[in-house]
Amino acid sequence: MRRVLLSAALVLLTTAAAAQQPPTGVARVEAWLKAVLAHEPGTLDDAAEQVAEWPTSSVRKLWIDVNGLVLLMRNPRIGRFDIRQPGQRTVQQVRYTASELRRMRALACAAGGGLHEPGCEGVNALKELDADLRRLALLAEEARRQGDENYILRRGALLHTDIGMRTTGAADPVDPGNSLGPQRLRMTINDGLGDNLRSSAPHWDVARMLLDQVRPAGVEKPAPGRDEMVRRWYRATAAWMELREDYETLHVDRAQQIFPDDPDILFLSGCLHETYAASFIQAPVQSMVVPSGVVFDLKSDRGELHQAEGLLRRVVALKPDFGEGRLHLGRVLLLLGKPADAASELTRALELMSDELLRYYGEMFLGAAREALGEFDLARAWYGRAAGLQPAAQSPHLALSALARRRGDRAAALQEIRRVFELSARDDGHDDPWLNYHVSHARDADSLYDELIRPFVTSSER
Amino acid sequence: MRSRFLVGALAAASLGVIAGAQTQSPSFSTKIEAIRVDVLVTDRGQPVRGLGPADFEILDNGVLQQVDLVSFEQIPLNVVLALDMSESVAGERLDHLRAAGHALLAGLKKDDQAALVTFRSDVTLDADLSGNPRVVRDALDRAEPAGETALVDGAYAGMAVGESDVGRALLIVFSDGLDTSSWLLPDSVLETARRSDVVAYAVSVGRVKTEFLRDLTSFTGGRLFEVEKTANLQAIFLSVLEEFRQRYLVSYTPRGVAKDGWHRLTVRVKRGGIVKARPGYLAGS
Repeated sequence: MRRVLLSAALVLLTTAAAAQQPPTGVARVEAWLKAVLAHEPGTLDDAAEQVAEWPTSSVRKLWIDVNGLVLLMRNPRIGRFDIRQPGQRTVQQVRYTASELRRMRALACAAGGGLHEPGCEGVNALKELDADLRRLALLAEEARRQGDENYILRRGALLHTDIGMRTTGAADPVDPGNSLGPQRLRMTINDGLGDNLRSSAPHWDVARMLLDQVRPAGVEKPAPGRDEMVRRWYRATAAWMELREDYETLHVDRAQQIFPDDPDILFLSGCLHETYAASFIQAPVQSMVVPSGVVFDLKSDRGELHQAEGLLRRVVALKPDFGEGRLHLGRVLLLLGKPADAASELTRALELMSDELLRYYGEMFLGAAREALGEFDLARAWYGRAAGLQPAAQSPHLALSALARRRGDRAAALQEIRRVFELSARDDGHDDPWLNYHVSHARDADSLYDELIRPFVTSSER
Repeated sequence: MRSRFLVGALAAASLGVIAGAQTQSPSFSTKIEAIRVDVLVTDRGQPVRGLGPADFEILDNGVLQQVDLVSFEQIPLNVVLALDMSESVAGERLDHLRAAGHALLAGLKKDDQAALVTFRSDVTLDADLSGNPRVVRDALDRAEPAGETALVDGAYAGMAVGESDVGRALLIVFSDGLDTSSWLLPDSVLETARRSDVVAYAVSVGRVKTEFLRDLTSFTGGRLFEVEKTANLQAIFLSVLEEFRQRYLVSYTPRGVAKDGWHRLTVRVKRGGIVKARPGYLAGS
């Protein structure tokens, strides 16, 4: 089953690769290591641009070779590479020629900071490395001395994160028959219509794969779930994807697998499924004609809402005072036709929230819940409060108009719709936070990422 | 649908007076209640003309009603254009839409009024109901596509404008996309449609599912046009206007039925023919 990336923002395809041919085979791994070394996290520097220009097929093969590199970092003596692609049950055996394997071992010794380890001394790795790779080996070794054996994994992940965030990477026509390395399909959604289904370079897969191999000091097997940087990476990048409407279910699913009880990650996952229930996601996916073998990882709107409800219930169970979690749960319950439960959650949310934006949402949703319960005076009061909080917003007046019309009060309905029109005619704009509700939960994504990369940018080792 | 206007003064001229008064003081609180139903009667595809009250049979929740009035081409029209101005409309579609709007406005009669509502991420009243088509035409020429599609909010706003003045309200909704940003839920607006006198026609362009527009037009007795391209938009708009002019406005005061709730309507013509009218109306809150 292939998963499809959804993007609700206009995707600008990068221009064709530079005239220079991208490296292949083990040379590509070496070029990649040097790009990781040279890359300044948080930027799209020359190193990142160079890798971003590699065609999709190159990045898919890189994913395979870096898998092998990481296996060699952990054990330079291995000669068999069984690699499992994300979402697939079967493993793929990758073979290298003797000379390729020798070179891969040398690169792995440098990347792992273990040039002087017995396994690396045996292959005489030091002699095979140029100045850049020796510098990389020194930095990785220094990190090991300080208790972190994951130097290249973390920095490699950040390189591909910056490429994923700051470019669209390469994009090629969909090729369902090509199973070499993970294939990611990106659909562009504009104004509720899906088009331009393309195969995109799996930079996020490379980043996830690298962080999957992170292991704490003194532990034999990878344990990313015990690593704070990995947790913060998933939180920041999942939020970034949701804020930019660059949706990838696989990303949040993997975050949940690694951190099953993390309320922040559960919250992002719950909000993602809440968004997936919206018509602006559902309709394009339903109407898009896709090649044979391609399926969308999307349930019906109610299916998505039920999933969101389950996730958000776990969030508020783990973090009972998390008002924003209750806000989203309340809205999901409202959409599921449970207005009494929704009103209860939203009332509690409003008790917990002081942020004006969140209170606006809460008051609008509570108004809608009261309206659904037939409590029209309460509904009008909550819509009225929301209108007071956001005087330039149209939604509260649309709600008040429809409510008045429902009660048979045409004069009030007309008065409120006139207010809607007055707001649209104002010169100072008529921003309505409702229009950004579906990304509001991820509004701190940029600061989360800045916080994540700070140790890597300011570290004296660079 | 509950229409609160003076049944005692049923002539078209009297309705015009009420319309004028409403701009200062809405007169919806009258105690006299009547139901009016826009009805299209055709025979072998051609409109049937010359029918009077005695030719119609109306059942309200199965109870035969006394038809008070049948009007045909006597009451001026309030034509509200609710047009999608999201960014996907830019280009040829916008050219076609403007041309269709111009043609429709040119087809209005002396006492008819028109208004323009556009919807993007928000809803705008570009031209309020006016007897001067030029005002609406100029507004249409100024409207520029941008942003997303608040189709449901836009349709509601169009209905509200249509109800803002007494007369026969024709709402024409055009959209080439799917709702992506409305606050109002489709069910809420469809409930309003069930209470409204406004007859909604809609044109949906492209491959999107148009359940909302199908329901909106069905509940109000209008019609949905689903087209692939906008090349024939002008002809569609003109056919909508022509069809609407061929409709009868049938009025009765409900008797022998519960006041609130859903009222199923059955409209028949005794001499035969195909009847198109809304399936019912919703009364009370």
